[in-house]
Amino acid sequence: MSERADDRARVSMLVRVPPAVAFCAFTEDVDQWWRRGRKYRVAGKHRSIVRIEGGVGGRLFESFETSTGTKVHETGKITAWDPPSRLAFEWRSPNYAADEKTFVEVLFEESASGTLVTVTHSGWSAIRPDHPARHGEEAGAFLRRMGLWWADQMTSLRLHVEPA
Amino acid sequence: MQPSLDETFLALGDPARLAVIRLLRKKPRRSSDIASALSLSRPTASRHLGVLRRAGLVEETTSEDDARGREYRLRPQPFARMRTWLDEVEAFWGDQLGSFKAHVETKYGAARRP
Repeated sequence: MSERADDRARVSMLVRVPPAVAFCAFTEDVDQWWRRGRKYRVAGKHRSIVRIEGGVGGRLFESFETSTGTKVHETGKITAWDPPSRLAFEWRSPNYAADEKTFVEVLFEESASGTLVTVTHSGWSAIRPDHPARHGEEAGAFLRRMGLWWADQMTSLRLHVEPA
Repeated sequence: MQPSLDETFLALGDPARLAVIRLLRKKPRRSSDIASALSLSRPTASRHLGVLRRAGLVEETTSEDDARGREYRLRPQPFARMRTWLDEVEAFWGDQLGSFKAHVETKYGAARRP
């Protein structure tokens, strides 16, 4: 009943290329495969570029042009950079409080037919209800909104991906 | 009345309480057993159990064949609701990885297939 008593989400996907190729494409080509649109990118319907800077301390960020100049949303810093097997970075959505963050780890494991890519997104329990209060929003509403945001994202992603 | 999802996360946002949950996944236990298993003082264990109980994550039950005391056990409902939340996060990454797979195999994969 409680297979998941911690706060991790984990997803694996087999890709039919070697780990070194998968690692390079995941990081260098991130803008090419990261889903587009309001649900996935801060820039919404405007053009934006998602980038991962190589190496520990590098950033995962999105940049886009506005009428007042170039805006950058930094999703987080790279905390582990071990090509071709492991990558980790912090994850902050724009609606997080300044000191809130979650954590993403990506593993690239060689398999007979390519590379098993596993994403683990953890730290959800640290998004505490007293922080959203600073956004002038009730904690429950904040979390519901986050949940809806993800759910929305899923649906539109699935519609986008499945016909392919 | 169900505790909200944020209460669930708040209650779990503590290593000692997560340890209590992991312990109770195996079987229901008395407060004193939980304290000794986790090297906590009894008042500390009681305090954590109180937070978990108010969040609806655990409940007390009177053990029928043992008059020595009440046991704590997990309540399944909040875990199911958190599971839904994590399912959504997993679906997000599943779809992102689906997009990544399509990209990497199209750009780099075809020529490498045996």
